[in-house]
Amino acid sequence: MVNVTTTASSSTSAAGPAATSPTHAGTRFTRALGIITIAAMLSLAAFGLVFSPADVVQGESVRILYIHVGTVWVAYLAFVITAVSSAAFLWKRTTSLTWDRIAGASAEIGVAFMALTLFAGALWGRLSWGTFWVWDARVTTTAFLFITYVGYLAVRGLGGSQQQRGRRSAVVALLAVLEIPLVHFSVKLWRSVHQDASVADRTTNVTLDGLMLFTLMLALVAFTLVYVWWVLLRQRVLAMQDALDDKGLDYALAERRREVTADALPGSVR
Amino acid sequence: MDDIGFILTTYLVTFGSVALLAWRVISRGRSLARQLPDEDKPWI
Repeated sequence: MVNVTTTASSSTSAAGPAATSPTHAGTRFTRALGIITIAAMLSLAAFGLVFSPADVVQGESVRILYIHVGTVWVAYLAFVITAVSSAAFLWKRTTSLTWDRIAGASAEIGVAFMALTLFAGALWGRLSWGTFWVWDARVTTTAFLFITYVGYLAVRGLGGSQQQRGRRSAVVALLAVLEIPLVHFSVKLWRSVHQDASVADRTTNVTLDGLMLFTLMLALVAFTLVYVWWVLLRQRVLAMQDALDDKGLDYALAERRREVTADALPGSVR
Repeated sequence: MDDIGFILTTYLVTFGSVALLAWRVISRGRSLARQLPDEDKPWI
């Protein structure tokens, strides 16, 4: 396979894309990362569905928890990265729109993974608690966190300049991230049917079968790889979208001028 | 096994959603990259 990125012409034109420009947002690194991520996800499917044993208490439904824990980990990670990137954008020394785009890309991924967390949790809840939904402290605060970040994405979609978008959404992100400790400690603050941290808490003396622990760790790694790959590519897409919003009209006019010039040349055929 | 439907649904929806959203990012990137010069792609 030819690597278009490395064979592309470095000569660029402000009047539009060069004929040899790469026609994708990937690089050799993101392609390699993508292949590793696919391998990790396929391994997770194999271990989660086939190789890992059933739990002595939960039975087969424990397999859903590999997805549930992996996706919620990425959602938390994505929202924290959104907040850190937003703070970097607001800080005077690093006020680059790249930080704003990383924040936006990360929040989009966080929302997608939080939706998957709620979905997997609902199916697990049906098997374990007998119902898809309970107005439990952890479940309700998690749903509230999800809705908050849907709102953050809506704020990003409001009108105004890119700098205005960045400032406005950064403030929302820095407030929204404060919900994460509330969600995490909700099982301690209120009576909850949702279990507390078990594997990560050394005081609970929870022991997992080696293969179950491996599958859980594999889920965390696989979903983290998905996140890294996705945020890299998505922030590039957002950068191109911003560039097109800024200069799209200039490029369209330049393209039209080229066409008119080509038509005016002697011997040109339409 | 009564739980198999719930388990398979969880895995299918999760893996399917991730694949679908990843494909959308790739296709959107291709679409935009065709319209822009290299100077607007600083990662190159």
